[in-house]
Amino acid sequence: MKTARVIYEESGHKWIALVRDPNRPEYLIDTNEYMVIDGDDAILLDPGGNEIFPAVFSALSAEFDPRKINKLFASHQDPDVISSLSLWLEFNPQIKCHISWLWTSFVPHFGGNQDTFIPIPDGGADLMVGGQRLQTIPAHYLHSSGNFHVYDPKAKILFSGDVGAALLPPGDESLFVEDFDRHIRHAEGFHRRWMGSERAKRDWCNRVSQLDIQMMCPQHGSIYRGEQVRRFIDWFAQLEVGLVKG
Amino acid sequence: MAAVVTQDTGRELRRIVRINEEIKSVVATAFKINLMAMNAIFLAKRAGQTALGFGVLSNELRRFAMDLQKQMTALREMTYGSVATVTALVKQARLNRVLERARKESSGLGRSIIDEFMRSRHGQAYARHREQIAALNRRLSQMIADTAQLVELGSVLARSAKIEAAYGGPFSTSLMQVSSDFERTIGEIQRSLESLTKQQD
Ligand SMILES: [Fe+2]
Ligand SMILES: [Fe+2]
Repeated sequence: MKTARVIYEESGHKWIALVRDPNRPEYLIDTNEYMVIDGDDAILLDPGGNEIFPAVFSALSAEFDPRKINKLFASHQDPDVISSLSLWLEFNPQIKCHISWLWTSFVPHFGGNQDTFIPIPDGGADLMVGGQRLQTIPAHYLHSSGNFHVYDPKAKILFSGDVGAALLPPGDESLFVEDFDRHIRHAEGFHRRWMGSERAKRDWCNRVSQLDIQMMCPQHGSIYRGEQVRRFIDWFAQLEVGLVKG
Repeated sequence: MAAVVTQDTGRELRRIVRINEEIKSVVATAFKINLMAMNAIFLAKRAGQTALGFGVLSNELRRFAMDLQKQMTALREMTYGSVATVTALVKQARLNRVLERARKESSGLGRSIIDEFMRSRHGQAYARHREQIAALNRRLSQMIADTAQLVELGSVLARSAKIEAAYGGPFSTSLMQVSSDFERTIGEIQRSLESLTKQQD
């Protein structure tokens, strides 16, 4: 099963990372799920795939009453991001899913109906969790054509979806990036292949450079902290992307 | 209980699939009978005065073949409908498996939520699924009974045609051949229907 790790906590405002599932079969990519709690309210960021629902549900319920989760955020349409939707709907049919407008007629193939989805316009929108406002940050074409990240100005945390993702070798369990240079080697191939647009990449680097980020949390691999965030943005800015080989 | 429901659903599914396959074979045979009846009418016309009785019977057989096809169309539509039921059951079974895993992995609050959820949900879902299957079976039984009655009529017609064939003069052999084909094919349908009736219990 996965473990729930509190990565930020300050007067009722909390970030929980659901990470590392040793029971996960190897044919499934490992994912991180994040839950932002504010008081009695919570949002689940990239709830994950159908197959890992049991691990996410059980880890999460150790920290929070899962019945109280009434909103989900999906950075994009991928199965590792949101195919568990139908299971969450079983527990709470009223649950809302925030996702790019581009995908609101595609993701219902995983579950939900006309009342389930709240489309995010291309420029982004705010998400309220309890009393806290979170911002959705446009990250289109990185890699999905309708793609958002989430920035929490209070916790100074950026949830960056597939950006910053690293496919770590088995046995590397670290929650946080320890050695940037070593870590980034596991991120390079992924970013070259999955990220499709140079221009989108430049736009994103400019956009997030203006944010005060203490932690950058990707959907796969370890979390970047402090100076590592800056280093990642610089590394990504100069990386050539959209390549099938190389 | 979850495991029992899943197993049960699996058995139910395999049964419905078997029934569908059987219906498909009856549909194919019904089509064959229609062609045979056309052929018999043509033959009776050629035989003329010597095969008047056979001619009347082949017209009756053709009417029978058309009624049978109509009946089969209805049966086919019903099996299309059952595909939706089957799909819902497959989804249900899959969901049950994931929930069962979630229950095993959880402890404390998570586990009690899933327990409670499965109790209420399974109770309802199980009742609903029983209900659907029962309705499906009732309609299927009725249709099979109607079809069996119709086929019984066809069987009588085929036997009479065989008797008439004996008076067919120079055409007697070919008329006999045609009516024997009828009898055999109708027999096939009867066996299929019998096996369908057995699947019902
Ligand atoms: Fe993705
Ligand atoms: Fe992903």
